[in-house]
Amino acid sequence: MKATTNCKTIEILNLSDKQLTNLSARNVLSLSLVEMKAVQDYFRKLNRNPTDVEIETIAQTWSEHCKHKTLTGIIKYTEKKGTKKTKRTYNNLLKETVFKATVELNKKWCLSVFKDNAGIIEFDAKNGVAFKVETHNHPSALEPYGGSATGIGGVIRDILGVGLGAKPLANTDVFCFGNPETKDSQVPEGMHHPKRIAKGVVSGVRDYGNRMGIPTVNGAVYFDEGYMANPLVYCGTMGIIPKSKINKKVNSGDLILVVGGRTGRDGIHGATFSSMHLGKESDVSAVQIGNPIVEKKVLDTMLKARDLNLYRAVTDCGAGGLSSAIGELGEKTGALVYLDAVPLKYDGLVPWEIWISEAQERMVFAVPPKNKKRIVELFNKGNVEAVFVGEFTKDKKLTLKYDGDIVASMDMFFLHEGIPKPIRPAVYKIKEENVQKPIKMNSASLLKALKDALADLNVCSKEWIIRQYDHEVQGQTIVKPLQGNSIEVSGPGDAAVIFPYTVVKGTKKGIVLSNGLNPQYGKINTYKMAANAIEESLRNAVAVGANIEKMSVLDNFCWGNPNKPEILGSLVRAANACYDMSKAFGIPFISGKDSLHNEYSIDGEKYSIPPALLISAMGVIENAVNTVTMPLKNEGNKIFVLGITRNELGCSVLAKIKNVKGGVVPEVYPKESKEIMKRIYKAINSKLVESCHDCSEGGLAVAISEMAFAGDKGVKIDIDVIKTKGELTVAEILFSESNGRFVVEVNPENKFKFKDIFKDCIFAEIGCVREDKNVAFESVKNKVEVKEKSENLLNAWRNTITW
Amino acid sequence: MFEIEIFTKEGFKDSRGEHVLSEISGLEIKEITKVDYAPVYIIDADINKTEAKTIASELLIDKITEKFEISSNSGSRKSKNSVIEVLYKKGVTDTVSESVIKAIKDLGITKEVKVKAGHKYYLHGNISKTALDKIAIKLLANTLVQEYKIK
Repeated sequence: MKATTNCKTIEILNLSDKQLTNLSARNVLSLSLVEMKAVQDYFRKLNRNPTDVEIETIAQTWSEHCKHKTLTGIIKYTEKKGTKKTKRTYNNLLKETVFKATVELNKKWCLSVFKDNAGIIEFDAKNGVAFKVETHNHPSALEPYGGSATGIGGVIRDILGVGLGAKPLANTDVFCFGNPETKDSQVPEGMHHPKRIAKGVVSGVRDYGNRMGIPTVNGAVYFDEGYMANPLVYCGTMGIIPKSKINKKVNSGDLILVVGGRTGRDGIHGATFSSMHLGKESDVSAVQIGNPIVEKKVLDTMLKARDLNLYRAVTDCGAGGLSSAIGELGEKTGALVYLDAVPLKYDGLVPWEIWISEAQERMVFAVPPKNKKRIVELFNKGNVEAVFVGEFTKDKKLTLKYDGDIVASMDMFFLHEGIPKPIRPAVYKIKEENVQKPIKMNSASLLKALKDALADLNVCSKEWIIRQYDHEVQGQTIVKPLQGNSIEVSGPGDAAVIFPYTVVKGTKKGIVLSNGLNPQYGKINTYKMAANAIEESLRNAVAVGANIEKMSVLDNFCWGNPNKPEILGSLVRAANACYDMSKAFGIPFISGKDSLHNEYSIDGEKYSIPPALLISAMGVIENAVNTVTMPLKNEGNKIFVLGITRNELGCSVLAKIKNVKGGVVPEVYPKESKEIMKRIYKAINSKLVESCHDCSEGGLAVAISEMAFAGDKGVKIDIDVIKTKGELTVAEILFSESNGRFVVEVNPENKFKFKDIFKDCIFAEIGCVREDKNVAFESVKNKVEVKEKSENLLNAWRNTITW
Repeated sequence: MFEIEIFTKEGFKDSRGEHVLSEISGLEIKEITKVDYAPVYIIDADINKTEAKTIASELLIDKITEKFEISSNSGSRKSKNSVIEVLYKKGVTDTVSESVIKAIKDLGITKEVKVKAGHKYYLHGNISKTALDKIAIKLLANTLVQEYKIK
């Protein structure tokens, strides 16, 4: 071990607890005192002080971002309901909830779950399909364009780095922003206006995704004041991979090849930084700028190298840079790296900066020595820089050299397993929910509420965003994000369907992608929020034709500061919902990611974001042709509502518009819902369904209106025949957000066959498609008639976001 | 050192300029009547003016909708309007510049070249320095990674 001019020794052996805490803070290590003491103990045993390279490596490897130490740590959980208290200890929350469900479900078609850069399920006999969703919140708050671009760039590399590399077929994106109408003076100093963040984020995803030649096919945008200073940016990528390329194996003696972008000072401390809250003084070097052209070249050439079997393992450089990538690949073998061999963007980087830099567009490969020449030639031919920087050893140690000196030497076991398990307390108080006072509204105010609901930021058209993205490139998007008769007239599709015929020759199968997210519900009950998100994602997919028996989901938790017991408690509740719903629906989780510490400070006050759980669903269907869209198709067709409408208006769009107090947040009834979902798949495959739409925010009124204006049709609905649980007012029937409901259009000729499929389910025929282009909801019983031209409803929906 | 500015030709839409104008009105600044947008490339290399012209016309402009102006030192172009110039700070990855450097090599110019890519906004109308700073900070430059100059 040698300290050189470029590498300092850090005094740690004789530091007091307070000094250890200070050291962690000063060097942006984000390590707790317990962790710092574990480091101190390790080096006391070695009888020497660590170098800066070693300390930084430990900080990266042990970061929340890389190790998920909160969710895998020990949690002492207390739940309060009224005066009743229940306690439970989790030794590893993830393993005991989300992951446990997957293990118990034990689906044979799950090919790789929770162990690689993405989850993989079976596509057909020869291929798997991989899906991953990442978050890039903090960088996007500071530099929206660069932050979101590198977010999408990073998740694409996750797909390139799963197994021996999958070919990306589609991107998804989901954002949460502050209210775009916020007054300029209300934006805290040093932070960007929510609208500026929104615009920057959208253009970042657009420029990176479009230039990569990957279509952006599915997404959602959610606005809430709570995300003003801390937006959420979720980016996802789906790709296809031959089954024979799913496993990676690193052998001792394999060479370490770094491919793609050069290393600079970009994004230093990104991984540890993501464990800190945002404040005015946040740092420039945490920002990364992406270069899609480099990544596109890496993509194209590495898939060629994969098919020539030139390497044994690959992973991407994400958070923690080379430190994490080589550390993970060499966990079982050990690795020797020559840091001075790493190609740099400019001079002046010291060894630890080279090692942990998060410069973009880099991949790391394990190459058998016999392929040394061929693989470099191949990459160079594709104009991609590829440089060997070391080898995987058999000493199970991480050794780093710079200019001939050893600057780091640590046991892999300590690095990966030496992290002490934190113990955190968590509490959750279950709020009592009561049905609101009956909401009585006349025809005129119902119509106004319908228009306001359509214009609501969380319901309205996201066309301004969607149209900036290329959702057609590769020519495989057969169910698209906006659906309708023309560019001028369109409605929101429930899910996207990719028909991968260019990659899997001769296939008939399709891949369905959808999502579910509603942070509003989490303000009352995070268990219900999670359950709702899961059901919504499944419902969206089923609405276009997905098979509920062959679907998988990803979880992405974005939460506030887990050191606060109430916040951690709400996370425990949500994780439990994931377990319960996954089991009840029979839908395995295949991968996930958490972003905790989403907290920001304004004038010294700290605020956590409203918790958000994004569920992204992926399903494989037998026949991509048997899919449906949501616009109404033909006059005379019958409209059915499947499922039952309950009085569930807690945190609903109507409650927001009419300022309704109280109300029950929608409950999920998996047994009921799953039965309906199964039968929809059957009905769609029997070609009995003309159009189908999921019913969520804004309830039946919004869903039916969207179907009508997207198809440029009229519709007449009899409110009195809609099946409800108990006595509901007209407003409650139209706007309740109960789960498990679909609106379906059926040709009268198929009516009886359709009804036959759904016998013993709750459903009702409620109206028909009409020529007159009016949307009409009528109740003779209540003397209500809500009637409006579908064009006017379309305009209400379209004109909110026109930036 | 050459500074190459790219302008939209008369008769074509300067959509970025128009967009910035509408955003400025969103900041409740009413004095600006028009915004002209010009991407700018500062080329630091031992090249002559003919070579600079080749770079501009062959590489940087769309010949149908755009024209260029070259000045041999930064900021010499006279303008009666206020100008805000935005450039990346040192050390921030500038992918546009990297691409331009590579393309200049592909043009056959083998001398060592450094490039900075940036943006210039010409703001028509009488406006205070404070308001210009506000426009720059709130709209045009992210001061975390970019710096701006008001001319």
